[in-house]
Amino acid sequence: MNPRILVPVLVAAYLAVPLAFQSNGYLLGLIVAALTIAGIAVAWALLGNLGGMVSFGHAAFFGVGSYVSAVLTMKAGVPVFAGLLMGGVGAAVASIATMPALRLKGPYFALAILAYAHIFQILAVQLEGVTGGAGGLLSIPRFPSVLGVDFGTKLGGYFVIVTIVILAALAYDAIRRSTWGLALKAMHDSELATRVIGVPSTHLKAVMLVVSAFITGVVGAFNAHFINFLEPDYAFSGSWTVLPIAAAIFGGYRTVWGPVLGALVIYLLDQLLFKEVLPHGHQLVLGALMAGMVLWSPGGLVPVLVRRKGGRAHAHA
Amino acid sequence: MKPLLEVDGVRAGYGAINVLWDVSLTVAAGETTVIVGPNGAGKTTLLRALMGLVPVQGGDVRLDGASIRNRRTWDSVADGLVMIPEGRMIFPDMSVEDNLMMGAFPRKCRKGWKANLEMVFDLFPRLKERRGQLAGTLSGGEAQMLAMGRGLMEQPRICLIDEPSLGLAPVVVDEIFRILARLKAEGLTIVLVEQNTNRALKIADQVYLMQSGRVALSERGERVDLDRLHALYFAHEAAE
Repeated sequence: MNPRILVPVLVAAYLAVPLAFQSNGYLLGLIVAALTIAGIAVAWALLGNLGGMVSFGHAAFFGVGSYVSAVLTMKAGVPVFAGLLMGGVGAAVASIATMPALRLKGPYFALAILAYAHIFQILAVQLEGVTGGAGGLLSIPRFPSVLGVDFGTKLGGYFVIVTIVILAALAYDAIRRSTWGLALKAMHDSELATRVIGVPSTHLKAVMLVVSAFITGVVGAFNAHFINFLEPDYAFSGSWTVLPIAAAIFGGYRTVWGPVLGALVIYLLDQLLFKEVLPHGHQLVLGALMAGMVLWSPGGLVPVLVRRKGGRAHAHA
Repeated sequence: MKPLLEVDGVRAGYGAINVLWDVSLTVAAGETTVIVGPNGAGKTTLLRALMGLVPVQGGDVRLDGASIRNRRTWDSVADGLVMIPEGRMIFPDMSVEDNLMMGAFPRKCRKGWKANLEMVFDLFPRLKERRGQLAGTLSGGEAQMLAMGRGLMEQPRICLIDEPSLGLAPVVVDEIFRILARLKAEGLTIVLVEQNTNRALKIADQVYLMQSGRVALSERGERVDLDRLHALYFAHEAAE
């Protein structure tokens, strides 16, 4: 990761934003929600850009992650931060169940995984003994205090999610720069050609699916412990798929930071501006915004900013 | 000496359409085996079947005496069975150097990538000049050299080369065949599929003629009579 990008990001994430907004609970809450979307958006873009797979099913991984962590912490006494990781593991395991869909390509994969997402929602409703059924789970434990820092507050939650998002972006960047990243890029040019030269292309795609599901699961688990409440319609809501996709495309889904930037811009604009102007149907404006971005810069917002700075179009933003 | 690669009564095709009926041939280590034949004879299908890209429905394929029938392509590549495909199949949106690096993807090739890259640049100085250029901007001849270089990065024991001269200017074809002769002199085992019979026969140790999914002629390179080969080549086609 280029330190000229990473250092400002870290300063903004750990100093500027907390200092500016710590007293404004409403705004901080919105930023946490935007970062939750950002985390899924990074995971989605990782799968879309590196794995070449458009997924309509990330709500499934988000929901599974949130339920796994909530249930483990409530019923098995697992510490909350360990639950966060287990949520990721749970989503990764769930993604293995969706792997038959890897045999499909493009829109067929997207639709198959959309159907899978629904299966997990039904499971959450039906497995009443574990998940509390349609009524959901109440009083999911908060984040604890560690070394004198209370992560159970809004500000504490902010630090948790911003760390998750930054780690996810760094992991994405590391994979992209590795030999595997190169092989995945080659797969977009021609999957047959990569097979000819001995790349286990199916395995690589499967690994990207697992990584993407893991990140999404961790974000889902975070959300469960942050809002302390879950029910199937909410945890598996299509919004957890649609908003991250919109954010990733708006910000630039072929860049590492585009999905994060896109999530912050789209979600905050929507909540702070469009919702004020148009209390009902404010999402309409999001659609127009997306359409505008696709016309103006199909690559998204980040490529525009990079060009403005006079940087090369190929800069690893 | 035991053959390095044995193809024993292979039947293969695409779904309901069978292309290879009963193909048997052997490839000796260090030799150049040339497979000629008209369009549609099944030459490319044979190479793809050897690589596990087309399912083998009957017969067997053995490498070093062990069956590799329908083995996963990447396992065969890791074992030194390398194909330089027809139409080159380079990655147009990646740089020349990254294309070559892709050849070193199999784990056992990663350690030696630096030396192999130097070896490839030594063989194809033109690729070195263009190492940072996008592969999609290369000329046909350069793209063929890139495909060959990428194949060599895979540290082949046997190189299956499919129509390297296809669509190239005669002067470039000369260069490609000069390089093939050099690789042969260095001891690489080559299986060459070519339509350019004259050229291919000059470097052949063993020649097979394929006709409609079968081997129609098998002869040592030095004993092949070009007129007879051409007669067979065209006669059978006319008879179909």
